[in-house]
Amino acid sequence: MSNPLVRAIETIGAVFRFTLQLGRCILTGPRYLRETIRVMELLARRCLVPVGLAVAPVAGVIALQGVQAFREYGVEGLLSSMLATSILRQYSPTLASIMVAAQAGSSIAARIGTMKVRGQIDALAVMSVDPLRYVVVPGLIACMIVTPLLNVIATFLGIVSGWFFAVPVAGINDGAFFDNLYSQVSPLDLWIGMGKCAFYGAGVGLIAGYVGMATSGGAAGVGRAANRTVVYTIILILVADFVIGTLLLNQGL
Amino acid sequence: MGEIRTWVVESLAMVRDFAVFMRRALRAQMRPPPFGELVRHASDAGVGSVLLVTVLITFTGMGLTVQGYSAFAKFGGEDMLGAFVGIGGVRELYPVMAGIIVGARIGANLAANLATMQISEQVEALEVMGVDPMHYLVAPRLWAVTLMVPVLCAYAIAIGLGASYFAAVAQLDLNGGTFIDQLRANVQWSDLAAGVLKGLVFGWLVACIACFHGYSAKKRDGAEGVGIATNRSIVQAAVACIVFNMIMSAIMYI
Repeated sequence: MSNPLVRAIETIGAVFRFTLQLGRCILTGPRYLRETIRVMELLARRCLVPVGLAVAPVAGVIALQGVQAFREYGVEGLLSSMLATSILRQYSPTLASIMVAAQAGSSIAARIGTMKVRGQIDALAVMSVDPLRYVVVPGLIACMIVTPLLNVIATFLGIVSGWFFAVPVAGINDGAFFDNLYSQVSPLDLWIGMGKCAFYGAGVGLIAGYVGMATSGGAAGVGRAANRTVVYTIILILVADFVIGTLLLNQGL
Repeated sequence: MGEIRTWVVESLAMVRDFAVFMRRALRAQMRPPPFGELVRHASDAGVGSVLLVTVLITFTGMGLTVQGYSAFAKFGGEDMLGAFVGIGGVRELYPVMAGIIVGARIGANLAANLATMQISEQVEALEVMGVDPMHYLVAPRLWAVTLMVPVLCAYAIAIGLGASYFAAVAQLDLNGGTFIDQLRANVQWSDLAAGVLKGLVFGWLVACIACFHGYSAKKRDGAEGVGIATNRSIVQAAVACIVFNMIMSAIMYI
């Protein structure tokens, strides 16, 4: 049991089985739609401010740094196309998902962990309510739906913040900014970003559910579960982001 | 409207509590902290994060390079990739990602740890024994994280540059010499110093936020209180790193 390799394989197997179980729960009833909508509403409200606060400053920084770099080459007009590309394709989906992982992931894991250490999960099972269906699946579905929606808001806020720092602050021509804004991006980029977010959101819900259900060791265990969820999800998001970026590049998108 | 008002009132109360906590914590931080505790937390925060920072910044750097390439290749500016990685990565993304990662790992750890002590009455036990918990628990943690995050930021910049170079040369088949020349033209040693300075600020912010939320966990909330403290400290530390990164960039580079 103490062999790390054996334990790693065991964990992978357990996560795989957990994923299959969740898949079966989603495909077959009973479903708790009211609970799902409640969790979605809660997550959307809680994540809105962190996501906006994360993406808008980054867009501002890109605009400010980009103005200096592009001025040297005399192509300031192209700033907005770089801004739109990097925000739409890269920064907004990644940062929005990381903030959802930080806020929603840790709070879902802490909530499930608290229920677990208090014996409420067992109580649900005694009342013949499947805890996976009632507690884990709503969080998973909610993360999957809410993250892409938050990404759209984050993208919009990012572009607005980039405009603010490029046009009124750094003095770029307003017309040139809007002429080049859409030259490199298409609606497809927004869809790719939303697809990435749905995938990362599902990862957040899955990892939070798995780590939360595996909580043991009282109050300290709840803290550990919340902490681990965030670390694992950030690893997942960054690694998957690189892999997806490479795949998209090879596809010529 | 009532909901927004409660939210504002609660936020203001939290800011006030934070100010009170910070006054006590800073006073405790000024006295020399217990050395053994300081070393223990510093090694936990620093050495314990090295592997995580290595893995994550490697992928961040490679991802940044690949994404930048796919953006620049559209208008034939592949040679600008070095400049893009130099400015976007070294000045901005690597330090701030290091701050977020460390905030998620160390910050959440500190908050969970202190909150557990608070709800299991260990903090009160210290007080009964005549030990000042601010001095014994909070001060060494603040010092340890504040000193370790700048080192991790410098390390993250080095790792990120290596990963970007690797992605540009090995994966995208760009000319390594052009990449290095572009990098040299746009990045100076002062940028590394700026990254370390940012790390100092991020470390202090993360430590203060985490210790505040951990220390103010309420005993009546029980295990739930630990979860709340951890959650808040992760989110607020990440937001603080990103916002202060923008403020510091605006001050240093404009």
